[in-house]
Amino acid sequence: MIAPSRVRLRLALRDLASAAAFASIAVSGSVPLWAVAGFAVGLVLSLLGLRLLARRGVVAAVGLAAAAVVLFSSTLRGSLDLVVAACSFAALVTVHRMLSPPAPATDNQVHLTSLLMITGGAALSGEMMFAVCLAMFGVLGSLSLSLAVLEGAPGDEEEVPVAGMLRRVGAGALVALLGGAVFFVAFPRLSWNVAARRTSPGLGPATTGFSDRIRLGGGGNIKTNPRLVLRATLSPDPGRERLDAYWVGRTFKTFTGREWLGHGTARPPRQLVTLGPSARDLVHQRIELLPAYDSRTLVALEPAVMVGNAQARSQTGTSRASLVEVTGEEVHFLEPAVAYSYHAYSLPEGSTPQAAEPADLADYLDPPPGLDDRVGKLAKQVVGGERDPLAAALLLRDHLRSNFRYTLELPGEVEDPLANFLFERKEGHCEHFATALTVLLRAGGFPARVAAGFYGGERLAGHYVVRAGDAHAWAQVYVPGQGFVSVDATPAEGRAASPSATWAWLISRYEELEALWRTSVIDYTLRDQADLARSLVRPPSQGGRAEGRLPDSRAWLAAAVLTLVVYAAWRAGKLRRRARPNPLASFAQAIERALEASGVERFEDEPLEEQSARLRAAGHPMAPALTLATRRYLEARFGGRPLRQGEREALLSPLRRTPARRAA
Amino acid sequence: MSARRSGLLAWARALVRPPRGLKVTRAGRTYLIVTLGVGLGALNTGNNLLYLVLGLMLATILVSGVLSERCLQHLEVRRLGTEAAYAGEPFAFRYGLRRTRGSGFALMLSEDGAKLEGRAFVAFLPPGEDLVARADLVAPHRGPLELTGIKVSTAYPLGLFEKSRVLAAGDRLLVFPRRGFTCADPAERDSGPVGDAGNPRRRDGTGDLLGLRELAPFEDARRVHWMKSAAAGKLLKVEREREERRQFLLSVDPGLRGEALERRCEETAAQTRQLLEQGHEVGLDAGGLRLRPSAGSGQHRRILSALAWLGFEEPS
Repeated sequence: MIAPSRVRLRLALRDLASAAAFASIAVSGSVPLWAVAGFAVGLVLSLLGLRLLARRGVVAAVGLAAAAVVLFSSTLRGSLDLVVAACSFAALVTVHRMLSPPAPATDNQVHLTSLLMITGGAALSGEMMFAVCLAMFGVLGSLSLSLAVLEGAPGDEEEVPVAGMLRRVGAGALVALLGGAVFFVAFPRLSWNVAARRTSPGLGPATTGFSDRIRLGGGGNIKTNPRLVLRATLSPDPGRERLDAYWVGRTFKTFTGREWLGHGTARPPRQLVTLGPSARDLVHQRIELLPAYDSRTLVALEPAVMVGNAQARSQTGTSRASLVEVTGEEVHFLEPAVAYSYHAYSLPEGSTPQAAEPADLADYLDPPPGLDDRVGKLAKQVVGGERDPLAAALLLRDHLRSNFRYTLELPGEVEDPLANFLFERKEGHCEHFATALTVLLRAGGFPARVAAGFYGGERLAGHYVVRAGDAHAWAQVYVPGQGFVSVDATPAEGRAASPSATWAWLISRYEELEALWRTSVIDYTLRDQADLARSLVRPPSQGGRAEGRLPDSRAWLAAAVLTLVVYAAWRAGKLRRRARPNPLASFAQAIERALEASGVERFEDEPLEEQSARLRAAGHPMAPALTLATRRYLEARFGGRPLRQGEREALLSPLRRTPARRAA
Repeated sequence: MSARRSGLLAWARALVRPPRGLKVTRAGRTYLIVTLGVGLGALNTGNNLLYLVLGLMLATILVSGVLSERCLQHLEVRRLGTEAAYAGEPFAFRYGLRRTRGSGFALMLSEDGAKLEGRAFVAFLPPGEDLVARADLVAPHRGPLELTGIKVSTAYPLGLFEKSRVLAAGDRLLVFPRRGFTCADPAERDSGPVGDAGNPRRRDGTGDLLGLRELAPFEDARRVHWMKSAAAGKLLKVEREREERRQFLLSVDPGLRGEALERRCEETAAQTRQLLEQGHEVGLDAGGLRLRPSAGSGQHRRILSALAWLGFEEPS
């Protein structure tokens, strides 16, 4: 009878391995909720040892068939992806098997469906959590399988040190993980690319909320979202910890009274888009739009003069991307992708832009339909006789900042959000402030528009990163000769993201790992392999280092590792070839030497036992000691009764002491 | 010259023969198919995560091979043998195991090359300790079986593959004829009973006193113990051991071959057992081989051994 505790441990490890496999598909966020709930309930019941389907085979089969029909019909309707449906069904089969009576066949089926779920997870998700799930599945599944191997024989009731064995197998599983990583790095990426899938943006759906309209009354929860959406490398590097800069994405001209809309005209796709006159000392930005961004609009430091050299990153690899300029509003990518990278050039901070007057300048004066009369009066009251657009904008900005409060709590749907903000609540978020300033400017006769993008820039690992919570809106007033100049009415505390410090720190570390995961695993290509091989064979020369005759340190390290490997292989081979002498053979030789020293005659090829019998028959004085030594030698060598400590000398010493009185 | 050539052939065979045997289990077959599918999927889609899964699966196979190899190393196995092996029925066969270094898990022992079914299982073999493992083996036919090596295999650690190695150990196992029922009467006895009944176990001999019991109808009144009967008030009969034994000489026609010989051997073995259990003396006449009638378990074993050798080379 096998120890019940060992069986329970094996089943628990099996179930947890399945849970890890299911988690690998669940992190993609595409598995139906009912399948997630079903698996969770089944897992808990199985871990509690409740095999509910032991005597309900028919019911379970009908349930599985019904689930298969539902999933298949969902796939046919197009509401569910085929891979997701297959993974969900595999999860349900796993639950069915887990709740059935344990048997070798059942266990194998659970492991098989778990393996299929892991494979499905690889197809569904690009999450870093997949690696964790894969590692857990590998280790836990190996442990469970190893325990099953010990139960291979019926009636096995031996005491087995399970902990020691699990340690060995666990170490083996970790080695397998390392081996898998080595294989991953070394295996040539020769892909047919017939059925590639798009990966998800990670950590759930993207939350930037970048769209072609701004609707007043929309949620402000995004301010607390710490997900990284943009990573930029600036040249020249400002070197500051916080950049506190405006990253403009798009602008809006038309306000309906409830929302800002874009009505720009799209121009033909191009590789390079010029947004304004160039100048000296431009700030170069290499910008990566991360998967969490989930929008096609390009973002650059304000004021941007040029964007181009864009690349789109998809599951099938990286490709050159085309840019579409929507005149006066935005530049966006032509094709959707998981992430993008591009280069942008902006005017340096504090410089005065030069821009021609737009042809549709009059449109930037249009008030929204049904504008409250109090808005015009307020504008006149604040601006007074000021006719300089920028000065007027600053007056209005100061008024808003000093008399209005920043809040993310919204009044809900109201008939006139702007009037509600300006004359009733007197509190709102950045979109309210930007809208109010823009409409007040227009009411005062100054062309203005709303810009949307991000405010901030936090230094992280040599780059500047922007979080989803940095999303921001502000106003731009037209200044003749300079174009649209940004004026931000939002109080300072409401501009940048405001997540908790701990949460932001954790997310930053996670994002670093995820970035490493994406660059090193998800986007690992044949070119990376070639680069790696090249760097190993020919390390790059370091700038500024004096050229010497000695090779690079990495070459020394590689040579040392190679030498160790060769030595270990040689040593192992030598040890294998060298037959270790049996220690008992030396005991027999010692007996023979003692007999020879005593002058005892020995016939040619006479075995020790025959010689012993002959001497005993002849009454030789050495016979008793020799008989005992010979018997113990035979027992030790062939009878499985080894010599005790010191017994060898005790047996040999009488032979050495006994004088040879006569020959046999 | 021919000896040298055969030696060279043996050396060449040993050189060509892989040092370890490898058998894929049912779970292992499924695993390999899934691995192949994942590999095709990775090549087809270029999905790096599928490459990662494929790498893990292949590395798991390699690690499994290394761990199982470690399990089969530093192993000393010897045969402890069996009490008796009868054809067609399981018999306990014991092996002595010892590991000089490291532990062994899930070891299975069987005879390599011999027509013996069954194997011993050892879940755990600690280092430096002697362990006896019992296998329930089954030999299909009687006769001497040449044992050339002990096959040690293990499915450790994952049960996907069964790796095995053969430890050379020459020996011979004599399989006795199948134990069955006697289908024919014993042969004519050589000497008849001295007493008044054919059964030597019958308590009506002339030997030592065994006891008293009530006289049954139609029994010989001369055996009544009159003094005891008078004291007891009923007729009591004296029971004494028989001293005489009958002798049988069972014969096997030396001209028999094949199935007929097998049947005769099995029949003779069964008769031998039956007669010896009845207390008779039994001998064997098998042409050139003749065993004098005798009784006891030693004679039983001698006859079974002789029967096992019939049709094969003569026992030395």
